[in-house]
Amino acid sequence: MKQKFLTLVTAFALVASGAVARAADTVKIGLMAPLTGSWASEGQGMKKIVELLAEQQNAKGGVLGKQIEVVVEDDGGDPRTASLAAQRLTTRGVAAVVGTYGSSVTEASQAIYDEAKIPQIANGSTAIRLTEKGFEHFFRTAPRDDEQGRMAAQTIEKLGFKKAAILHDSTSYAKGLADEANALLKKKGTEVVFFDALTPKENDYTAILTKLKGAGPDVVLFTGYYPEAGLLLKQKKGMNWSVPFIGGDATNNVDLVKIAGKAAEGFYFLSPPQPQDLDTADAKAFLTAYQKKYNELPPSIWAVLAGDGFRVAVAGIVGAKSTDGDKIANYLHKDLKHYPGLSGQISFDAKGDREGEVYRVYKVDGEGKFVLQKL
Amino acid sequence: MFSARSAFLSIPSPAPLVEEFLQQLTNGLAVGGIYALIALGYTMVYGVLKLINFAHGDLFTYGAYLGLTLLTSLALTDRVGFALGVLVLVLMVMGLVAVLGAVLERAAYRPLRESPRLSAVVSALGASIFLQNTLMLIYGARFQVYPDGILPSATLDLFGLYLPLMRVLIVLASVLMMVALYLFIQKTKIGAAIRAAAIDQDAARLMGIDVNRVILLVFLLGPALGGAAGLMVGLYYGQINFAMGWVYGMKAFTAAILGGIGNIPGAMAGGLLLGVIEALGAAYISIAWKDAIAFCVLILILIVRPTGLLGERVADKI
Amino acid sequence: MSRAHLAVAGLAAALLAVAPLFLNAYQVDVLNSIGLYALLALSLNLILGEAGLFNMGHAAFYAMGAYTAAILNTRYQIPILWTLPASGAVAGAFALLVARPVVHLRGDYLMIVTIGVGEIVRIALVNDVFGITGGANGIFGIGRPKLLGFTIRQPQEFFYLIWGFVAVTIFLFLRLKRSRFGRALNYLREDVVAAEGSGINTDYYKLAAFGLGAAWAGMAGTLFAAKMTIISPESFSFWESVVLFMIVILGGAGSIAGVLLASFLVVGLPELFRELAGARMLVFGLVMMVMMVFRPQGLLPARERF
Repeated sequence: MKQKFLTLVTAFALVASGAVARAADTVKIGLMAPLTGSWASEGQGMKKIVELLAEQQNAKGGVLGKQIEVVVEDDGGDPRTASLAAQRLTTRGVAAVVGTYGSSVTEASQAIYDEAKIPQIANGSTAIRLTEKGFEHFFRTAPRDDEQGRMAAQTIEKLGFKKAAILHDSTSYAKGLADEANALLKKKGTEVVFFDALTPKENDYTAILTKLKGAGPDVVLFTGYYPEAGLLLKQKKGMNWSVPFIGGDATNNVDLVKIAGKAAEGFYFLSPPQPQDLDTADAKAFLTAYQKKYNELPPSIWAVLAGDGFRVAVAGIVGAKSTDGDKIANYLHKDLKHYPGLSGQISFDAKGDREGEVYRVYKVDGEGKFVLQKL
Repeated sequence: MFSARSAFLSIPSPAPLVEEFLQQLTNGLAVGGIYALIALGYTMVYGVLKLINFAHGDLFTYGAYLGLTLLTSLALTDRVGFALGVLVLVLMVMGLVAVLGAVLERAAYRPLRESPRLSAVVSALGASIFLQNTLMLIYGARFQVYPDGILPSATLDLFGLYLPLMRVLIVLASVLMMVALYLFIQKTKIGAAIRAAAIDQDAARLMGIDVNRVILLVFLLGPALGGAAGLMVGLYYGQINFAMGWVYGMKAFTAAILGGIGNIPGAMAGGLLLGVIEALGAAYISIAWKDAIAFCVLILILIVRPTGLLGERVADKI
Repeated sequence: MSRAHLAVAGLAAALLAVAPLFLNAYQVDVLNSIGLYALLALSLNLILGEAGLFNMGHAAFYAMGAYTAAILNTRYQIPILWTLPASGAVAGAFALLVARPVVHLRGDYLMIVTIGVGEIVRIALVNDVFGITGGANGIFGIGRPKLLGFTIRQPQEFFYLIWGFVAVTIFLFLRLKRSRFGRALNYLREDVVAAEGSGINTDYYKLAAFGLGAAWAGMAGTLFAAKMTIISPESFSFWESVVLFMIVILGGAGSIAGVLLASFLVVGLPELFRELAGARMLVFGLVMMVMMVFRPQGLLPARERF
């Protein structure tokens, strides 16, 4: 019996060692994305965008005279899988890594890249603490939750609401945003009449809506994700309750309208600009190319921010004239200023956070279109 | 559209607190009706085979996905009208999922009839994983959405209680199916055979009952009801995902135990009760702790009254 | 154990011991992952395999240990490896507390209760129970372990820490298996009524198995916390409990070699087939069904004792 065990162990070791990367004459850029799991649609979008950008860059001659090879690893949207994915990328000789989406997933990989001195440019991870730990190789093209919290409180104030209810879904992102907005609203004197969390991935939220309604808010801020937002809107309409809802940036997804149907009308949400609202000629051209290749729009802005991460990584390699992680990170911190990204100009501060205001307010119209609001 | 707050119903609204309580009660019953329908499948299989059919929740999901595919590809509601279209759809889904249930029994459980229970439990878990991932490979990992506007979106407004018409219909439909099943088990000869096999398979066999056919029947009936529940969830809530069978299955199983597993009225009562516990727990204790409250109630019941509310004894000790 | 068995086991151990010298960081990290699961599965094996108690909430005890370690380390600056006894004690005590009223329940009912406990613990962690678990964020900034003045950082270094712990575990559990205690557990698994009839205090032994298995899972939790430096509730989901349950059953309930082998297969193979992302789980489910039909006793079943 033990014989079998041994054979298997040996076989395992052999196969595993066969997977060692081949040395090739390319510049490798890693992409860590949730290709499977709950956020698979975001991850697939990230992959499509980065691969298209790499194709375009290679057509222009690549970087440092070499072709770019994108090395994609699946983080499954889960911290443990992410730490393995990160270990795997560090052993495959990548010059920089783009990704990933979820904050806790990014967090599980940060130290691994930092110890390997590989610059990491996250695209969807907005948790504040990620850049408060002094990692010199960590950057993000996404804004931070505190900025969004500020924007949420500001929007509620500007729209003239006096009694707000806040609902999150207990994920670290939604809870962080809810806490941030809660503190700011209270400081500004807006009454917060309700603060609680729903359980994501359920179908029936009427119990929560009934409770919310009982609290009598004149606006509800929901900081969770679009599947739940869609159901909330739909079931709210079923209750004949007309209170306006404001969503955080994770509700920015076309599927929201698919789920909520007509009930989505009048829903406000905060988000970095929609891919189609990106106003530079460069961004427009890219979106056309994307639509031509994949016959769809990018799933959300987060995938576009992964594209920006990739471009910044290339700019870093070009600027540093090297694939050395320290040099790239140094260049990104100090010398990359007002780089023209797809989502607007990109500069990083000393912590690796993106500088400047990114958030906009959107409202869903009668046809289910997301319309940029001027407040 | 359906606003019933008209002249002849001008009874004054109850006080807001009472109103909220009643609203939560109806919310709970609507969710509980779905739990109950799924719970029946668990309870019947357990009654006859003493097996937790972990894959039952996934059969429920298949009901939702098959319903979506049939709905969009056949466009029944456009062709033959809403009521008839939905009825045909329900029957088709129930039939297909029932066949799937029978295939599952044949492939994953029958070969294990004589094995220790643990093997069957693991096989059931394997079947669940297999079914779930097959669905994911076919439809993709993203959730799927039923087309909007198939169901009438009227809302009944009874003294300030908001009852979407479809919710009422769903509760009625599930109660109807449960009553039909109950009568079938209690009043027909085949039903008596199922009951006999649940009490003692060997004795039933000696009495000339074909136990294999009884088991097959149970694996047709349970999944048919589960599939119908899946279709209703899809039609009403509109959003389905390949993994939703885990959550619903777990809740339904809890409901079956609450009511006393192996006991058909128990599963119905347990389902409705669990729905209400969840809604009231969310309303008066905490939304975020709602599931924990449901599980606590389950554990307490197993400690205090291990038979469930209406069921058999389960403790090892005599 | 015969001489041939010993030789094979020794060779396997030697091969594993030198493996990090030939493998890259990723591959070593996969082995680390396997090691952690092996530890957890061995601890579950005490409860499920040796005593035959259907526990499908093992992740709860694992979480207890990991959170105890993380809280002691980040709040009171206790070096992470020093928290091992505390983590074990907390997880074990919790298991005793939970199991006491339900341990006499029939197999699958016990399974439901343990599933419920696992979910309650996870929900409590997500909701930041007592304000100490950090909610959905979890706890971050857990210190690196230090051993004899040497800080453990790299996967290669963790490899020896984790697999060293596995080795100690195997040694102790083998001794336990052959003791009076181990024999009592096996009687329990085979026939509770007969065991009680022959004078075995069944509830005592059941609880002891539960407590010991949970304590060991708690210590594995400490290692997990030390390795990840961040822990959050999603690492302790129902799915983790299911995976552990499957490892024990697939390997062969009550068989230490079987559990080790199954850890390699269940955790290692999906890594090898990373590219097949979706399909690998499908195959996994299929294998479970087929295994139970053709080899229900597991890959390397424990030898019959009776």
